[in-house]
Amino acid sequence: MKEDEMIICRCEEVSYEELKTTAAKYKCSARELKLRTRAGMGYCGGRSCRTMVDKIAATSANDRNRTCVSLKYQPPIRPISFKNLGG
Amino acid sequence: MDNAIIIGAGPAGLTAAVTCAEKGLDVVVIDEYMRAGGRLLGQLYEEPNGNWWNGIKESTKLYKKAVDLGVNFHLNTAVNNIENSNGIWTIYTERETFHTPSLLLATGAAEAPVPVPGWTLPGVMSVGAAQVMTNVHRVKPGERGVIIGVNVLSAAIAMELQLAGVEVASLTLPKTNQMTQDAGKPKEVLDSLLHVSHMAPSPFVRYGSKLMKNDFMKKLGVNFYPKKGVKMWDIPIQLRKAVTKIYGEDEVEGVTLATINADGEVVSGSEEHIPVDFVCIAGGLYPLAELAAVAGCPFYLVEELGGYVPLHNERMESPLEGLYVAGNITGIEGAKVAAAQGRTAGLSMAHHAGMDELDGEIKNSIEWTEQTRDNAHIQFHPEIETGRKKILQQWDAYQSNKKRSVVSNSRGGIT
Ligand SMILES: Cc1cc2nc3c(=O)[nH]c(=O)nc-3n(C[C@H](O)[C@H](O)[C@H](O)COP(=O)(O)OP(=O)(O)OC[C@H]3O[C@@H](n4cnc5c(N)ncnc54)[C@H](O)[C@@H]3O)c2cc1C
Repeated sequence: MKEDEMIICRCEEVSYEELKTTAAKYKCSARELKLRTRAGMGYCGGRSCRTMVDKIAATSANDRNRTCVSLKYQPPIRPISFKNLGG
Repeated sequence: MDNAIIIGAGPAGLTAAVTCAEKGLDVVVIDEYMRAGGRLLGQLYEEPNGNWWNGIKESTKLYKKAVDLGVNFHLNTAVNNIENSNGIWTIYTERETFHTPSLLLATGAAEAPVPVPGWTLPGVMSVGAAQVMTNVHRVKPGERGVIIGVNVLSAAIAMELQLAGVEVASLTLPKTNQMTQDAGKPKEVLDSLLHVSHMAPSPFVRYGSKLMKNDFMKKLGVNFYPKKGVKMWDIPIQLRKAVTKIYGEDEVEGVTLATINADGEVVSGSEEHIPVDFVCIAGGLYPLAELAAVAGCPFYLVEELGGYVPLHNERMESPLEGLYVAGNITGIEGAKVAAAQGRTAGLSMAHHAGMDELDGEIKNSIEWTEQTRDNAHIQFHPEIETGRKKILQQWDAYQSNKKRSVVSNSRGGIT
């Protein structure tokens, strides 16, 4: 397997290449990168790939001096069943 | 309604629970793990004075103390949301909903990933997972493994694996890319290791810290660093190598290891295959602050603290009424510092509950935290003090901004 093909977001199966090319093209925030690729929008809520998506976006947009979060957290922050969610 | 609720039963949460209960508060502790102790459970190492730090024993002691004081524990219970309305916090879990005017977030830290081609194969795990398997569940993660990522945490856990009879074939770097960045550059890694030399009983690090004071010497150090690596506790530490690939059909069968130059670039043709049955990835730790984020707490990125941290002051108060933070959620440090912060948070919560005359105790507790930090045996970031100062400055800036906008509001200005 080549480096570009490796999976970064496991839930949505987004590869390193897809993230890299999207970030290079749009030079966007981590939030926009997430929305464009769906990385971090899957079942786990971005628990595994969030820091990577953040870093790729920051490197491409040359935004090393960022101090605020652009990736939001949404409840529920842990997977829960529909039954319990409905109460 | 409970007087105080604490999310997270690590050293910070447990110490806060004990402190609150000692002051007479009804306390509930919620943790998603089946056992109290948090990351303390996995810790096992020898301190410079020859004492062994056994996390399981320390956790049990704290947990028993809390139970004896009447603290109510809900383990195996994940909190998935928190909300405030009219000064009361509502805490949502899959089974029950809790209410309190005074809520502490002591949710600790999470591990950052290190992506390597092949890292989705079964048998690849985070180094913390290997620590929990080995030290908490007493199950070997495998017979022979490689650890990718050289830092304080991975060095400590490599030694623990060794103690448990698991062979660590190499402690080495990830190939550098946009995500691994400095973690794949020998010079940067050596820099950060030199700083923790006091905890490494290794001639190379000791030698290094004395001789490699300036950058030029460090560069030389990396260039002359033996390609085969040096051994620490009999484990090869290979700063001039990087894993370019993890291979295997249905599970891990081995890794491809290549020689790299001082900037982390692969020397082509240097690849070799190392057969292993498990791989640990060690990307370092970052504060786990999801709940502070959903609550709407302001955040600030402080690299020295390990990432985005919720704004807080020395009394462990967040800017949100009745919301406190303590432990690794405020920055990555060792268990003893987390416990000291937990005590401060507990006192602040007792104060919030109407207990008078705690100011002296709170002040002492803040001083104690600083002393504990100064004497810490394990330090995850060399510039932790700078990071702590930064967040306090942000707190002051935030408070004075708030005052200014209140003043302009009362003058009928910006609303
Ligand atoms: C893998 C790993 C290894 C470490 N090894 C060492 C070491 O060897 N030495 C050292 O000094 N430090 C080590 N640390 C640092 C460690 O974080 C501190 O030592 C200390 O444990 C921090 O204490 P804490 O109370 O802040 O958090 P933790 O001990 O991490 O406890 C946090 C608790 O909160 C719970 N929690 C989190 N989110 C939720 C939720 N939504 N709902 C319910 N419960 C939740 C967790 O289950 C956990 O029990 C390690 C950290 C990690 C992650």
